[in-house]
Amino acid sequence: MKRWNLYTPEGVQDILFTNCTQKRMLENKIRRIFRLNGYQELETPTLEFFDVFYSESGLIKQESMYKFCDSKGRLLVLRPDLTVPIARVAATKLKEEDFPVKCCYIGNTFSFDEIGGGRQNEFTQAGCEILGTATPESDAEVVAMAVEAIKATGIEDFQVDIGQVEFFKGLMEESGLSPAEIEEVREFIDLKDFVSVEQVMERHQVEETLKHLILDLPKLFGSKDILQHISCRNIGERAAKAIENMKCILEILEDRGLARCVSVDLGMVQSLNYYTGIVFRGYTHGVGFPVLSGGRYDNLVSKFGKNCEATGFSLGINMVLMALERQKKTAVPDDGGCLVTYEEGARKLANDFCQALIANGMPAELDILQKGMDAARSYARSKRYNIIIKIKRDGSREEILP
Amino acid sequence: MRYITIALSKGRLTELSLGLLEGAGIDCTELKDSSRKLILSDEKNKIRFFLAKPSDVPVYVEYGAADIGIVGKDTLLEEGRDLYEVLNLGFAKCKMCVAGPSALEGRMDEVSITRVATKYPETARKYFRHKRKESVEIIKLSGSVELAPLVGLSEVIVDVVETGRTLKENGLVVLDTIADISARMVVNRVSMKMESERIGKIIEAIRSQL
Repeated sequence: MKRWNLYTPEGVQDILFTNCTQKRMLENKIRRIFRLNGYQELETPTLEFFDVFYSESGLIKQESMYKFCDSKGRLLVLRPDLTVPIARVAATKLKEEDFPVKCCYIGNTFSFDEIGGGRQNEFTQAGCEILGTATPESDAEVVAMAVEAIKATGIEDFQVDIGQVEFFKGLMEESGLSPAEIEEVREFIDLKDFVSVEQVMERHQVEETLKHLILDLPKLFGSKDILQHISCRNIGERAAKAIENMKCILEILEDRGLARCVSVDLGMVQSLNYYTGIVFRGYTHGVGFPVLSGGRYDNLVSKFGKNCEATGFSLGINMVLMALERQKKTAVPDDGGCLVTYEEGARKLANDFCQALIANGMPAELDILQKGMDAARSYARSKRYNIIIKIKRDGSREEILP
Repeated sequence: MRYITIALSKGRLTELSLGLLEGAGIDCTELKDSSRKLILSDEKNKIRFFLAKPSDVPVYVEYGAADIGIVGKDTLLEEGRDLYEVLNLGFAKCKMCVAGPSALEGRMDEVSITRVATKYPETARKYFRHKRKESVEIIKLSGSVELAPLVGLSEVIVDVVETGRTLKENGLVVLDTIADISARMVVNRVSMKMESERIGKIIEAIRSQL
């Protein structure tokens, strides 16, 4: 019995004409800006072995992946992410002399209940990665690229928050908390739940300056002045280094004229086992989820057998489209266009005329309905053409408004 | 200026939430007029409110349809949404508990529990899976959960306990406490960043009354 033949599965959608055109236009704008900035596009397969994404640390939860088997019974997944395949490529396909590599991608990813897609199970991501360098310049470069990409989409009012996971890791190392307690503190900081952080910290003997800093973590977001007020004494070398690294990156961003777009959030403590340096997220009005996220992930490529520093970001195309729609900034594609109709016996003339228009870049089509003027008019309106041209037997043309 | 939208839980939290908002200088008179309008506003401060079923409040806030929400911790635990939980408002206090017949008291570790009835299936599942490392069958009910062990539907229940009177009158006792519950103020992760100044002021104005 065919019960589901009329439906699409949960979390996936048909994207029809206008929306699809808008989406392609957006992707093209982003692709163009990536390329202009020296990023080379690559494509990885939609299917990968499960093992590529599986890790001890549970980077990507197995229950969030679409799984099935190949003809030899090996476990496959629909890629839940595009950065991991690029790390695989970096470790296995690229040669030493290729590095550093600046690459970009635009592709669909699949995941059950992924927040990044705004609760869509199939969503398009566009992103950049820089592989093989650990300089603050490269981190600033990807943040700048992320800002440029958002700007290119037409979103004007947005903000990019930058954090540093090493800062939190350093503070925790210094505090002497157990891994379970660290996870507890991390969760509360992530929720900006001040009271609970305090409750956990009260159970422990932690040096005062350090303790205050940990208690303040949920509040440490806003302008970059926050960094100036942190005293690097008594917080340990690792955390102090993280602050220096952030200051350096923010300085570079200032030189690039991006100080206005970026702010600081030291309480960004998600995905600690993935990121190893700065992390950042981009926000705008109209969508409740970040439109982009990224950061430094120096340990990912080594999972595939080669040490290689890396930093990058990805932009959620579906999120951006939603934001543009809510902010009433969706570009309605309007190339004009023309329906060419003809009298009996003028078919060849009409076809030549129509082809000439197309060759000149004007959307045009021949009236294949052949049901008279009223039908032609209503068809032309439905395609938003702004003119109908009727070709007569003697070669003369009549222009008719749809 | 954009509107800041606040989602309030319909029911026992409503009155107390309104008190706090009024104390923070937000005009809630329109809401008190018990009209049939679904969305009400304080035009001076550019703040909108609506009342929603408690379990829907975290959903509105997560999606950014509301910037701020006031909701019980029990609902937050159950919904598991990705939000900022900025204030413990301290009212509507109770405990999320495992309860069962008094014969089980102090013997939770000895007997194996197979069926748990609850209005909070996710909370119960997480508790048994992570804290007790047990796989149990969760039976979702919509009310009067205390009935379940009495008629043999389940061995224990997971529910919020305020005074414990209902439990006591039915011969049930608290076997373990899962979490302390009270009303919380939650904020959407993006709103917190995009409107940090205005939302920060509201948080401070409410915090100062606690």
